[in-house]
Amino acid sequence: MKLLIIEDNLHLANDIRQYLSESNFVTEHACNFKEAEIKISLYNYDAVILDLGLPDGNGLDLITIIKEFLPDCSILILTAKDAVEDKVRGLELGADDYMTKPFHKAELNARIHSILRRNRAGRSNIINIDDIKVDFINMQAYVNNNQLNLTRKEYDLLVYFMQNPNRILTKESIAEHLWGDHIDQADSFDFIYNHIKNLRKKIVEAGGKKYIQAMYGMGYRFTPAQPE
Amino acid sequence: MTKPQSFRLLSKTTFIYLIFTFIAFLISAVYLTREADEYIQNEMEHRYNRAEHRIKRHIKRGSRPLEQLLPNYIVTLLSDTLASNNYPVYSDTVMYDAETDETHYMGKKTVILELEGKYYKAVIHSEMDDLINLKDDIFGALIPAFILLAISIVAFNYILSGYLFRPFNKILGLMKIYTVGQRNAIEKVDTSTIEFKNMQELFHQMVDRIESDYQNLKEYTEHMAHEIQTPLSVVRNKIDSLISDDNVMKSHKDTVKIIYDEVSHLSKLGSGLNLLTKINNREFTNAEKIFTKSVIEKHVGSVEDMASLKSLSIKTSLSEKHSLYIDPFLLDILLKNLLRNAISYATIDGPIHIETNDNSMMISNYGPSLDIPAEKIFERFYSNHQKKSSLGLGLSLVKKICELNQLKINYKFENRQHIFTIDNI
Repeated sequence: MKLLIIEDNLHLANDIRQYLSESNFVTEHACNFKEAEIKISLYNYDAVILDLGLPDGNGLDLITIIKEFLPDCSILILTAKDAVEDKVRGLELGADDYMTKPFHKAELNARIHSILRRNRAGRSNIINIDDIKVDFINMQAYVNNNQLNLTRKEYDLLVYFMQNPNRILTKESIAEHLWGDHIDQADSFDFIYNHIKNLRKKIVEAGGKKYIQAMYGMGYRFTPAQPE
Repeated sequence: MTKPQSFRLLSKTTFIYLIFTFIAFLISAVYLTREADEYIQNEMEHRYNRAEHRIKRHIKRGSRPLEQLLPNYIVTLLSDTLASNNYPVYSDTVMYDAETDETHYMGKKTVILELEGKYYKAVIHSEMDDLINLKDDIFGALIPAFILLAISIVAFNYILSGYLFRPFNKILGLMKIYTVGQRNAIEKVDTSTIEFKNMQELFHQMVDRIESDYQNLKEYTEHMAHEIQTPLSVVRNKIDSLISDDNVMKSHKDTVKIIYDEVSHLSKLGSGLNLLTKINNREFTNAEKIFTKSVIEKHVGSVEDMASLKSLSIKTSLSEKHSLYIDPFLLDILLKNLLRNAISYATIDGPIHIETNDNSMMISNYGPSLDIPAEKIFERFYSNHQKKSSLGLGLSLVKKICELNQLKINYKFENRQHIFTIDNI
C-alpha cells in the first residue's frame, strides 16, 4: 500500500511517515501544493493524507485533482482548521474522512486502515494476530475460533488495539477514538480502566492471553507475543 | 425623579418656530397699534381744526345766535378767561342715534377760542367710527393670519417629517440590523441632506473600522488555531515516540506524563475557545426547526455505555413535540456539553434525567452542592472542583448557544440534584 502525505510541516510529515511505515505502508511526502500536484499526476497512490493549509494553495483544490488522476485513491483530510464548512466541503468533493490537528498517530493509522478497507473490495476483511481474529464484515471477534460476546465499544476498542499492535495507546487517544468529544478528558481514566478490564476478562475467558497491558499509567499496549 | 421627557426633533423645531412667530406677531401688533393710534390722532386733530375754523367764520359773520351755530358744536361766550389754561380737553364718547338705532364712536374736543377780544368755549364733536373700524380691521387681519400660519407650520412639518426623515430612518434601520461580519448587508441610502450624508458617511467609516478589526481578529484566531495546532501535533507525536521508548519511560515517566497531559489540555483549550469565538461571531447560521427527541436519543445512545462504566444510568422522558429552532451543529454541541457535564459530575445516588415537554428541556444529575456561587456556573474556567484537565468551557458554550438562539437556560440545585432547564422564549 502506497500513501502520499501532503503536509508542509516536516517534523509532522516525518513522524507520520515513520509511524505508517511501521504499519507496512510505503509513504511519500509532498511539502507543498505544486509538489503534490506533480506527484499525483505522475505516480499512483492508494491513499492521500492531505493538509488543507498549504503554503502555496488550498488543499481543498487538490481533492479535485486527485479524483481526476487517481479515481480509486482514498483521501483523508488532516487539518488544523476546525471549520465545519471546510469539513462539509471536503467530504462533498470526495474526501473519505476528516481529522483535525492535533491528532493521535494511532487514530490516524486506524482511520487509514478503515477507509482503505471500505474502498477496496479485494482487501482482506479480517485481521488476525496470534489467536485473535476480527472479522470486519460480521463485526465479530474470535479467540481460537471461539466467538467473543463483545459490546459495540469493546469491539471498537479491540480493533483499535489490533490496528496498532505493539504500540502504547494513551488513555486520551482511546477515549477520543471511542467517544469523540462526548467524554470529558478528566474522566477518561475510570472509563478506560473499566472498559479494558471487561475486554481483557472476555478474551481470557475465551481462552486468550492477557494481550493488553497497562503501560506506565499513561495507556495500554496490545502485545501479541507476550512472554510468559 | 421623573425620567426626562424626550421629543421628536421636528416637534421641537416646530414648537420653537411657533414661539418665535408668536413673538414676531406680537411685536408687529404693538407697532401697528401705535401707528394706527397716531394716524387716528392726526386725523382727528385735522377734523377739529377744520371745525374750529368753521366756528370762527360763523362767529365773525354773526348772522346766527351762538346756540344755533352748527348741530355738532356747542359754543358759549365766556365772561372771563380764568380757566383757559386747562384747555383744550380731549375725550372719546359713544353716542346713540335713535333715528338709525346705531351707536357711534365720537371724539370730543373742548377748546377756548379767542376772537376779537372775546373768549368762547367750543365743544366739538366729531365722528370717528371709520377710524375705529380701521383699527379693528388691522387686528382682525392679524390674528387669523397668525392662526393660519401656525396651523400650516404644524401641518407642513408633520407631512414633511415623513419625507425629510425617510433617509434618516432608513440609516437608523440599517444600524439596527447590522451585525459584525455583515458589511455587505448595508446598502447606500440616497439623500441630499448634508447632515444625513455626514451621518451615513460616519456610519460607514465606523462599520469599515469594525469590520477590519473583526477581520484582523478573526484571522488572528484562525492563524493561532492553525499555527498552534500544528506544532502541538508535532509535540504530541514526539511524546508518543518517547512513550514508546522503554528507556525513557523507566527514568522519566512522570515528566513525560505531565508534558503529555498539558499538551492535550492546551490543544483542547485552543479548539474550545476557537469554537466559542465562532459561536459568538454567529458563524453557525443554518438554523432550522429540529424535533429533539431523536437527536437526544442518539446522544444518549453514544454515552450510555460510558455512563454505565461509571455505574450511572440515564433515564429519559421525551416529548415528540419538543422542538428547537437552532443550527443542528450547535444543537449537537449543546447536548454533548450538557451530557458530558452531567456524566462528569454525577454521583451514583440516582440516575441522570433528561426530560422534554412541549417547550422546555430539563437535564439533571445527583451530586454534592456547588462550592462556587450558582450564578458563576456558566462562566468560563470556573470548574466546581479544580479537576485536572477539566476545561471549564462546556457550560459557557451552552450558555452562549442559548443566548444566540433565543433560549433561556436556568440552573438550580434541588433535592441534591443539579438541574438545568432550557426554555423557548
